[in-house]
Amino acid sequence: MTPGLPAVLRAWSLVGLAARLLACGLLVVGLTETGRADQAALAPLLKTLDLRDYTARTAPPKFSGSTLDARPLSLAECRGSVIILNFWASWCLECRPEMPVLERLQREFSSRGLVVIGVNTRETKEAARRYAKELGLTFPLVLDRDGKINALYGVVGLPTTFVIGRDGRAIGFAVGPREWESASARALIAALLAESAPPLAAQ
Amino acid sequence: MARKADYKRFENLGIQILGVSSNLTFSQQTFAESLKLPYPLLSDFPEAKVMRSYGVFNDKMMLANRAFFLIDPQGIIRKKWIVPNGETTVVYSDTLLRDIQEVMGKR
Repeated sequence: MTPGLPAVLRAWSLVGLAARLLACGLLVVGLTETGRADQAALAPLLKTLDLRDYTARTAPPKFSGSTLDARPLSLAECRGSVIILNFWASWCLECRPEMPVLERLQREFSSRGLVVIGVNTRETKEAARRYAKELGLTFPLVLDRDGKINALYGVVGLPTTFVIGRDGRAIGFAVGPREWESASARALIAALLAESAPPLAAQ
Repeated sequence: MARKADYKRFENLGIQILGVSSNLTFSQQTFAESLKLPYPLLSDFPEAKVMRSYGVFNDKMMLANRAFFLIDPQGIIRKKWIVPNGETTVVYSDTLLRDIQEVMGKR
């Protein structure tokens, strides 16, 4: 590092380095002895993706609901998976481009333990079904007709997306659309998938 | 209100600020961390009991009015500042501090 370089420039050059490493697919996030990814290594990925992080890995509120195909689904039953929990609505223009991206991620990573869950915000089953059919969505879509799940999560705008680790704890969240297929998003998902889920007894 | 420098001015008057919102601590925590709030936030979710009992909960909007209450060491409300429904008026620290000093001066 050049001595006397302004702090801002130095910070920028670090970001540039991380970006170059990402482009080469070289960024590997190590695990700590707890089986969790190193928080310090996750931080730059969260930052690039512009996710607000839960440094203390807070437990997200439990919920259960019914999917479009009338299957019951609860957050608890997904424990052990990495979860992308996306709040959306069919009228939400910024949600629309994200949905096929989330669908592709689900297809690519589900065999390794990624679960994408979409929570439809205050719409009818018919509206949600039409939308899912139009965009070819196959990941579970939970209906939140009365907005209870939205309220639990304090969702104030759509889309809002939460990323939850295998330990069932929140990693970060985004208000507004994000590049979920970007190199940093993939690196984040890979790092979280590499974590070991805690044994059931420890929960 | 959230600014640290302002917080010191309240602290100097012996005032403990408490924030109350109808969110779960899950969402309050990131909010508090992002603003580096120097005072505690209390969750009044889901029944909004505190907000209702202070008469500032809007059932239709499921939100509280922006409101401040000054409570003395005996637990008595000495002053309140309530922003009416639909208004986005900011209650500035200077206003609060001026009013508080006035109330305290009278006692």
